[in-house]
Amino acid sequence: MLDIEIDGKALQVVEGSTIIDAAHQLGTYIPHFCYHKKLSIAANCRMCLVQVEKAPKPMPACATPVTNGMKVQTHSEQAVKAQKGVMEFLLINHPLDCPICDQGGECLLQDLAVGYGASASRYQEEKRVVMNKNLGPLVATDMTRCINCTRCVRFTQEIAGLMELGQAYRGEHAEIMSFIGQTVDSELSGNIIDLCPVGALTSKPFRFSARTWELARRKSVSPHDGLGSPLIVQTKHDKVMRVLPLENEEINECWLSDKDRFSYEALNSPERLTRPMLKHGGQWIEVEWQQALDYVAHAFKDIAKNHGAAALGALLSPHATLEELHLGQKLMRGLGSGNVDFRLRQSDFSQDGQGTPWLGMKIAEIGSLDRVLVVGSFLRKDHPLIAQRLRQAVKRGAQVSLVHSADDDQLLKAHAKAIVLPSQLPQLLAQVVKCAAELKGVSVDAAITALAVSEKAKAIAESLLSGTRAAIFLGNFAQQHEQAATLQALAQLLAKITGANFGFLGEAANSVGGYVANALPGADGLNAGQMLAEPRHGYLILNAEVELDSARPLQALAALKQAATVVLLSPFKLPGALDYADVLLPVSPFSETSGSFINTEGRVQSFNAVVRPLGETRPAWKVLRVLGNLLNLPGFDQDSSEQVRAEVLGAATPTPEFVTDRLANPLSDVANNVANNVAIKLDAGPNGLERVADVAIYSADVLVRRAPSLQKTRDAASPAARMNAVTLQQCGVSAGQELRVRQGEGQAQLFAVLDAGLPDGAVRIAAAHPKVAGLAAMHGAITVEAL
Amino acid sequence: MGALTAFFKSLFLKELFQGLAVTGRHLFVRKITVQFPEEKTPQSNRFRGLHALRRYPNGEERCIACKLCEAVCPAMAITIESAEREDATRRTTRYDIDLIKCIYCGFCEEACPVDAIVMTRIFEYHGEKPGDLYYTKQMLLAVGDKNEVQIAKDRAQDAPYR
Ligand code: SF4
Ligand code: SF4
Ligand code: SF4
Ligand code: FES
Repeated sequence: MLDIEIDGKALQVVEGSTIIDAAHQLGTYIPHFCYHKKLSIAANCRMCLVQVEKAPKPMPACATPVTNGMKVQTHSEQAVKAQKGVMEFLLINHPLDCPICDQGGECLLQDLAVGYGASASRYQEEKRVVMNKNLGPLVATDMTRCINCTRCVRFTQEIAGLMELGQAYRGEHAEIMSFIGQTVDSELSGNIIDLCPVGALTSKPFRFSARTWELARRKSVSPHDGLGSPLIVQTKHDKVMRVLPLENEEINECWLSDKDRFSYEALNSPERLTRPMLKHGGQWIEVEWQQALDYVAHAFKDIAKNHGAAALGALLSPHATLEELHLGQKLMRGLGSGNVDFRLRQSDFSQDGQGTPWLGMKIAEIGSLDRVLVVGSFLRKDHPLIAQRLRQAVKRGAQVSLVHSADDDQLLKAHAKAIVLPSQLPQLLAQVVKCAAELKGVSVDAAITALAVSEKAKAIAESLLSGTRAAIFLGNFAQQHEQAATLQALAQLLAKITGANFGFLGEAANSVGGYVANALPGADGLNAGQMLAEPRHGYLILNAEVELDSARPLQALAALKQAATVVLLSPFKLPGALDYADVLLPVSPFSETSGSFINTEGRVQSFNAVVRPLGETRPAWKVLRVLGNLLNLPGFDQDSSEQVRAEVLGAATPTPEFVTDRLANPLSDVANNVANNVAIKLDAGPNGLERVADVAIYSADVLVRRAPSLQKTRDAASPAARMNAVTLQQCGVSAGQELRVRQGEGQAQLFAVLDAGLPDGAVRIAAAHPKVAGLAAMHGAITVEAL
Repeated sequence: MGALTAFFKSLFLKELFQGLAVTGRHLFVRKITVQFPEEKTPQSNRFRGLHALRRYPNGEERCIACKLCEAVCPAMAITIESAEREDATRRTTRYDIDLIKCIYCGFCEEACPVDAIVMTRIFEYHGEKPGDLYYTKQMLLAVGDKNEVQIAKDRAQDAPYR
């Protein structure tokens, strides 16, 4: 601890802090542009000059480490004179175009110019002009406004992990630019908009549409990935205009993924459903709520009477709120059917009833891990901010190993990587288990000991055992894998042997909430896979585009088409549903309803509506409640979403912040002998080709699919058949050629693309896109032929 | 004042005659009544009448949708919506002034960085039904187009004092 004095106030700071850190500790504001608490120190704007006793010249507060007995003056005459001087220089080249600048009103330069700027300019010469750049569909640029603080450059390099921006040329000619002809496409790119202290980088979708002072700010929670980023939703006249991060060091720090930031565009989409609709003689007609709900109640009652309640099934979305999931399952159970599920993309349900998959630890602790194994995850795209935390951990010396079926660049230096066909994932993981067991001297099942071990598996096992704080995470791909239970058992066994934490990277905002709300099949009920494989007479679908969101799109579509009654609760007129549904009920997206999400670390986050429901849209929990009343079911008399939540989480106030006591990755139950618990299929998959399916970041849920700006990004490109050179040759096709891809009953026409990061025999075709909805399943054998 | 003085003042109606003297004087001074509408008073070039939106000589509207006028308006009479035009410039898609709310303070003109919203000398206008005095962008631009010569002259005259 060092004793220092700032503006006459004494304080103690830890060694190695800078003056600006110390000043913030005191709550003293020092003007600054280039300094940012999460980025490295650049000290190039010089706005933070302060007077330090005994120093001959003013010192930059952001870059000067404190020393014992230092006396700092932040607002002395010398300091202010220096700051004013810097401001005058900054304004020399800054255009005076605040009136047309989107940053106007929320601009650091504007604010500080009020405090430190002169009222007139002494500068007579020509101003610098910088050619504008094109950074893609999300970030708008006006580079003449840039003050070269390099925050954006440091962000892309240090946080996003890929140096997409750089500063070229020198001195007055210095310019920020992306690499020639490239756009900024990282899944975190929107953060540079927040970081840029001036209006050089602004939001393209928001461009010129409103001023900061017109916007109301409301708190909300992201409905997308398992992180559940807290949001500030800015609204004007009951319309969501923009979304910004709400800082929470334990969840999103101060970042937001582009998915969370720009998906709001879908909320104002013309595809929004605003009135209940009924299909009448093949024609859709708009009806009153009463009529629509009566119709649904009547239809469900009829089916239950004529075919038994088991002929009904509910397919809920993991992006729905806890309240909606609870009432959804309650409705089905009330009708007497145990067919409820929200895990639409899962294929292997054999671990059901064995616990509640969750992260197994706090998100905030990820950064302090020193050994990590991530199994089956398109990490960057599935969990942009968890990937960011791992990236920071790697920088601090952690070893992250990856076991996966596609070698996408995760923008972090992986210690060891094993990329194998999906069918070989369990075997590979078993190899790691074997090595770890050998190293630890534990005995494991004979099926595992019999395996030959690859170098990579060995490296991974050694890495896991060499650290002090290890964790093993199963990603979305592993959870959607055909042998997910096997992967889980092996990973858990490995965690047990190595003493690592075991957890799941939750796929969706409420992947954990669905378990807590018990939106799961009961003992006699069918799961999502069975409900579609064994068609039901009536389906209740909440907020999902089943033909895209399910593991077996073809089967799903066939099941829904044959059903007598399909009731869809959705904020959108889903094109597929117009064909197979019979009733469309407009329900609120997250912005128009109150509710709760439980994120992957078991954190309960409740939120309120930020705008009024559009048209006749109603919150889904209210719709389900009224439906319960119409069906004369008991226990549907809640008056608020809080009451519904209390039913699930208990009435204690305040609601518990975490529900970790209810979650359990069943680590202790996994016997050393995996083979007895879960039959390990260690043989390789079908000969020939295997499909590797990722859910592309911007087709993951109903909302992002309808966000126009996100759909213009490179990540939203339409799916292709990606193969490595060997596979291409084996199929006798070349990159760029159009192919017919067949899987099961279905087929799709796609272009071949060379992807060196795939194992031999793998054909990677993204799922959840209308173009590939004709393919049978997210995994399994596939054939490819040239057209 | 003594009671006696007061008695004589009221007895001779002194205050009454003082008042009547003023009336009497005015019977003979020059009359200043203006016979509106036949006659009109002179107007200042700073007169704050009906609003107008101006254009540049090339026909381009001046307003750049900065919304400063909307923000400064104490009566919240101005409603603006903005968007990017095809040529990537910042423009209003809606610019309404509710003249019934407006208090003719002139702050909007004062706030405008490009002299787009101005207050003209026009004060003889009326509305016959509700909504008539709700001026939209097209109406305001029309006022500007019609009176541009006078508007420009007034601004030029006032320029040295700004
Ligand atoms: S674009 Fe913005 S963030 Fe990047 S260097 Fe310029 S001013 Fe800084
Ligand atoms: S004159 Fe004053 S009250 Fe009227 S619109 Fe302008 S700012 Fe508002
Ligand atoms: S009239 Fe002037 S102040 Fe008002 S929005 Fe247009 S440019 Fe800005
Ligand atoms: S903030 Fe210290 S030099 Fe920029």
